[in-house]
Amino acid sequence: MLTVAPPDAAEARCNATFEALMWSMARPGDVRELPEAGLTSIVEALIDRECVAYADSPDLSRQIADTGAVLGDPATADHLFLDRLEGASDALAGIRCGSALYPDDGATLVAQVAHGSGQRLRLTGPGIDGARDMALALPAEFWAMREQLCAYPEGFDLLLVDGRSVIGIPRSTQIEVL
Amino acid sequence: MTLAALTKPWAATSYGFLDASAKRELRRKMLKAIAVPGCQMPYASREVPMARGWGTGGLQVTLTLVNPQSTIKVIDQGADDGVNAASIRRFISRVSGAAETWDTLDASIVQSRHRVPEETMREDQILVLQVPNPEPLRGVEPNMSIARQMHADADYGRLWLTLYEQLVRKGRIMQGAAYPSLVNGRHVMTPSPIPRWDVPKLNMARHLTFLSAGREKRLHAVPPFTRVEPLVFSDRPYRVEDHADLVCRRSGIAGYFMNEIPQDSGGSVFEVSDSNLGIKAIRRAEGEAVEIGATWYENGEYSA
Amino acid sequence: MAYVATRGGEKAIEQAERLFRQDLGTIDAARVEAIRQSMPYLVDRVMGEASLYDEDMAALALAQTGGELSEAVLVLRAWRTTQPRLAVAAPLLQEDLLTVRRISAAFKDIPGGQILGPTLDYSHRVLATDVLEGKPYNPPSVDPAATAAPMRQPSLADWQRQQGLVAPANDSTVAPDDIPDLTREPLLFPASRAHRLQSLARAETGGVLALGYAAMRGYGNAHPTVNELRLAEAEVMVRHPSGTEFSAGRVRVCQAEVTSKEKGGFLELGFAASFGWNEVKVIAAATLDLNSAEAPVGSPVHEEFYLSHTESVEASGFCIHFKLPHYVTFQSVLDAMRDAKAKAAAAKANQDVAVERQTEPAE
Repeated sequence: MLTVAPPDAAEARCNATFEALMWSMARPGDVRELPEAGLTSIVEALIDRECVAYADSPDLSRQIADTGAVLGDPATADHLFLDRLEGASDALAGIRCGSALYPDDGATLVAQVAHGSGQRLRLTGPGIDGARDMALALPAEFWAMREQLCAYPEGFDLLLVDGRSVIGIPRSTQIEVL
Repeated sequence: MTLAALTKPWAATSYGFLDASAKRELRRKMLKAIAVPGCQMPYASREVPMARGWGTGGLQVTLTLVNPQSTIKVIDQGADDGVNAASIRRFISRVSGAAETWDTLDASIVQSRHRVPEETMREDQILVLQVPNPEPLRGVEPNMSIARQMHADADYGRLWLTLYEQLVRKGRIMQGAAYPSLVNGRHVMTPSPIPRWDVPKLNMARHLTFLSAGREKRLHAVPPFTRVEPLVFSDRPYRVEDHADLVCRRSGIAGYFMNEIPQDSGGSVFEVSDSNLGIKAIRRAEGEAVEIGATWYENGEYSA
Repeated sequence: MAYVATRGGEKAIEQAERLFRQDLGTIDAARVEAIRQSMPYLVDRVMGEASLYDEDMAALALAQTGGELSEAVLVLRAWRTTQPRLAVAAPLLQEDLLTVRRISAAFKDIPGGQILGPTLDYSHRVLATDVLEGKPYNPPSVDPAATAAPMRQPSLADWQRQQGLVAPANDSTVAPDDIPDLTREPLLFPASRAHRLQSLARAETGGVLALGYAAMRGYGNAHPTVNELRLAEAEVMVRHPSGTEFSAGRVRVCQAEVTSKEKGGFLELGFAASFGWNEVKVIAAATLDLNSAEAPVGSPVHEEFYLSHTESVEASGFCIHFKLPHYVTFQSVLDAMRDAKAKAAAAKANQDVAVERQTEPAE
């Protein structure tokens, strides 16, 4: 029996977005469906004035600023929204990885990446029954950089968006480039 | 930016009770909790219209997850109609419009205090455990800051020592419920005060588990297919409660965790703790077509 | 279905709540208004612990909980937490407060003067039993002073800083909008000073008094002198999106500064402030703040100890949660205990057998 107003469109969208993000993180490699294509619904579901966020596009930067969040650079942001990972290696070298004391200070990197093409990868770790093979179009040097930065439980977590599809790769996932 | 852009029409209560910013904080922390299984993530933990210590941590997670299509099961000590379980379920349903159920098979979200249901949870289900004390090191180190440093250093020596001392003094590990367990080979967590019987159900499970302590403002998670290993010595295997041979006096089923009911005449009888499993068994025995799912334990033995 | 009939939790909780509410009777606007008018200090205490300044809401919370204070604070906080945060008010300066009471125990007189204001401090605490005999108590009117005390009063600590008695204030590098907010982020230790003072501001009065008193009795190393105690009203200054600053209204506030011995050539100051007028709380809280710096870990004056244990909603909630059934955990403990006893008995039996064997004549 509902005694409050039913969810409005924004509430429903944020709830559905989070459900997709949550399962994608809980089952690395699984493809989940966002209610809308692109990164905007993720900003809407996660970002507000408690956050420091970075985006590489003016549109997303504006959306982030409107939430009241602080616009930071890639090294200070707790959430990064990138339309392109190509050429972002230098910026990502300083990405927040948290500390052993507070692993949650590690950043969430949300990026537009084509699913099903590019390097063949083998994923193992929590959320994966055995191993899982897949292709993701990330820059060739990305995984070596991640390996270097993520000294578990320190590290950063990935949400890779292709249209309405999202794949999560938390820091707990081990990646083998095949 | 205008003031109007920051506001919305006045409503006495937001959908799902929590306001949008509280939900966003919980979403961010829940994602981090999944990313580092078993690691306690601090969160602001807003007040909810229930007293702290009464499931407010679990409630905040459930209220963040819930939508009108959800189906909610809430249990306390394994029972759906325990007074606090009933109160929480009614509240969730009132502020979300989610359907209520007693049947584990029908639930999309199971919020629980002190038990994991006996029917094996599926990959589309979420278990939300209410946690009174999220810190497995509290017994050896009451200071939170020092305990956090010990987790950072994976310094669990004092915990091991406590378990060893129990073995030497009592001949067995005396830990009852809330058995400390190593998650993903890195963080020791408390599985919340579930009995030892229930801890294997979290290991390499199909479902996703959140454990949330509202009063202590910490939440942690066990994603599916994640190792959860109770701390034991290799020559002293982990032992669940000796309930395998107990028979429920009401439903006649056996091989599950039981409640002991003392009798005036001396001695005890037993009732199955997962109350709806007992109800389903009774209804089936009375000839109703009731679906009972596969259970984690078969004939009193855990079978993964 | 006998299994279900023996329980019936949902009906029971509904009827139990009805019983409680039936005893309180009808709650109407007049009752709320009467509480707000007649119990301002109680309303202040609830507003302070709930960290929500709204006298009507606080009076309503008291009315619907029958004055069960921890329940009143909880219901008010639960309402507060759902409200959006539209703006961040400008920090208050002591010299801007509209001060009605301001005293110092450190000096006989202070710049700006000692202003007693409203207080029971020097009253004889005698019950006005005549009221119960049908003779209403009408308070005598106050004789106005020859010259009204100034509305605003300087800060004593500022004078002390000018004299080199108190260390210069650290200029905060944190923008007012970015001051950490305890209600939006978890309290971590060591706590930022903002978090410590916010946590004390909303702490449970009795809890703060108990631990502050422990510090005063000797479990802390600093015996407080009240440097300055103030009751005041403050303008809540906020900025409109267009840029104009305006007062959104006035709130009653209180603050205490306590000092003790010298450290590094300066007097140390402990500080506390809260919504509403609650002197005992801010003096006790300022004493805890004063003692924090050198407090041993685990002592009652260590910030992790006193902040964790004076959180009103957490402390009262956890205390009453022990009424909830715990029979699953209890069963688990029983199982371990019985097994350990059986093991001990078996071991003893073995030992007895071994002893018997030894007493057998060796052949």
